[in-house]
Amino acid sequence: MIYFYDGSQDAFLTAFVRAFHDPDARLTSTRCQLTLGQETVFVNNDPACAARARERLSSFDKHFAHDLDRLLRSGSESKDAVAFAYFQLLAQKKRPVRGMLAESAVLAAEELMRKISHELDRMHGFIRFTESASGALYAPIAPDNDVCDLVLPHFKARLPGFPFVIHDVKRKKAAVYDGENVFYAPLERAEVVLSADEDGWQSLWKSYFSAVNIPSRERLKQQRSYLPVRYRKFMTEFT
Amino acid sequence: MTKRTFVLYNAIMISQEKLTLLTESAKYDVSCSSSGSNRKNAGGIGNGNAYGCCHSFTPDGRCISLLKILLSNDCIFNCRYCMSRSDADVPRATATPDEICELTVDFYKRNYIEGLFLSSAVCVSPNHAMEQLLVTVKKLRLEYGFHGYIHVKGIPHADKLLVTETAKYADRMSYNMELPTERSLKLLAPQKSRESLLVPMRDLAREAQEFKLEKRKGHFLPAGQTTQVIVGASPEKDGQILRLSQALYRANGLKRVYYSSYVPVVHDSLLPDVGGGALREHRLYQADWLLRFYGFSVEELLPEEENLATEFDPKCAWALRNMHLFPVEVNRAPLEALLRVPGIGARSAYKITEARRYAKLTFEHLKKMRVVLKRARHFITASGKFFGTENETAVRGLLSAGEAQKNAEQLSLFSNPENAFSALTGEL
Repeated sequence: MIYFYDGSQDAFLTAFVRAFHDPDARLTSTRCQLTLGQETVFVNNDPACAARARERLSSFDKHFAHDLDRLLRSGSESKDAVAFAYFQLLAQKKRPVRGMLAESAVLAAEELMRKISHELDRMHGFIRFTESASGALYAPIAPDNDVCDLVLPHFKARLPGFPFVIHDVKRKKAAVYDGENVFYAPLERAEVVLSADEDGWQSLWKSYFSAVNIPSRERLKQQRSYLPVRYRKFMTEFT
Repeated sequence: MTKRTFVLYNAIMISQEKLTLLTESAKYDVSCSSSGSNRKNAGGIGNGNAYGCCHSFTPDGRCISLLKILLSNDCIFNCRYCMSRSDADVPRATATPDEICELTVDFYKRNYIEGLFLSSAVCVSPNHAMEQLLVTVKKLRLEYGFHGYIHVKGIPHADKLLVTETAKYADRMSYNMELPTERSLKLLAPQKSRESLLVPMRDLAREAQEFKLEKRKGHFLPAGQTTQVIVGASPEKDGQILRLSQALYRANGLKRVYYSSYVPVVHDSLLPDVGGGALREHRLYQADWLLRFYGFSVEELLPEEENLATEFDPKCAWALRNMHLFPVEVNRAPLEALLRVPGIGARSAYKITEARRYAKLTFEHLKKMRVVLKRARHFITASGKFFGTENETAVRGLLSAGEAQKNAEQLSLFSNPENAFSALTGEL
């Protein structure tokens, strides 16, 4: 049976509980191709059921909440299946399964979580802020995984008192820090009026970027593997 | 709304020409890491990130982490290999401390950089140059309230007090050895001596240790010291260079030695006209990693008067000379032994030690765990099974990096080692 859920953690857990004993269970939060004869069910969010599942699974592994959060953020199409298999194994073994790398379910989950952490690290480096006339900083991003709000604390710690907006243009949402408080909101598009100096600093950065390169040692393949082209869209030095 | 206490927006924007000039002369310094310091934000801007952070990558494949810049390229020293040497006919420029501070803070704010890498030519005198560096970093920390990463170059022959004072504000300092022997230094960098580089390094290491022991307040080089050696400008062999590195790691507690393959930017009768080549640099780094993270000593790797093999990586070369130690059983071998298997790095070794607590590992498992078996399979057994080649000469042939060998044989479905292996494990 195919279990549709709305993508939220609670709905996932509700679906998880309902599908647990179904040998042909398939969880999904996205549109998928239905095959003939396959039964489908829409799982409604049941907070009480989700809370019970959460508590039980957390008692097996104290990092359960973290893993669930990370896995559901993945942009991979297989994330629901991977998370389902991983937590199913956790429920069966009744103890942390993280180290059981000989199990495919664990390997697949580790792989997704590693990708998310990796992208998070990349975002810490690759985000480019532009300064608006009001002094607030604005950065558009389009990450593979839903990491927009995970990125925020890093910048809040290093830019205290500087208001900034990190805008995930792919998922149309934003993480906002107003200099004191943090909030997350849906955001379709943003208009930014640049500060007077912004162009000057941007062109200085571009000059720096080309001056620090050693042309006689061109290694474009290496550059591409460290800094994939899809991330360059919003990076000042590539525009 | 804002809690900023250090606001100094005079908008002293450095000119494009000056920035380009001072960057062009700094870019051959390879050190760029921003790791090792987790300085906290205490009002103002920035903090340290102990893991380091890469902000961009240039077309030469190097990462940009720090704003790498000279305070001045106006040099009184005449090091033959350097484009800023005193008798070179190049445009000269000197930036003011404020220009550097503004640039750093504004680049940092836009998340272009993780911090500043500040170096300088020996402008006027060693003490003057060092003093200007000190003034700049002190200003950046105290007036601009910058808590990001700062790496400062030490100027040889500068007064000890100036150096110690600078170390209180920098996260990392480095004196570049540049040339591995006194002889080469005399020939190519006549104003520098081995002593003028090693003594301040040792002093800083000692002071840093005292600072730690006495649990004094503030900072003293939380990210330690590094150095750089130019490879290929002078006749020293890899064996000599790596012995120097090992001595520096052991005696001076250096965090890293960088190897910079010589790029001919100036023509000089005493210097080679061709660069050192990327492969030699790569092999040196591989060997360096073995010294620092894999428990090797340089004596195991190569004799003093030799270069590293080009066709194998250093660990592979070592293993081929020590075939009597292999194969090791992945389910039982201690971590130290796993780390010595060619092709198994720290990450794979960790994965193996984790996974074998729960299951008896087979080659299938290793493949699924993405342990690279191309080289490793000749040196390990998994659950008693061995899928490598026993014959040492054959292993040598299979592993040598030479492409010619691979293409010389009549190809069959199984002639490629990867295919042969997946056929054995049943995947093909």
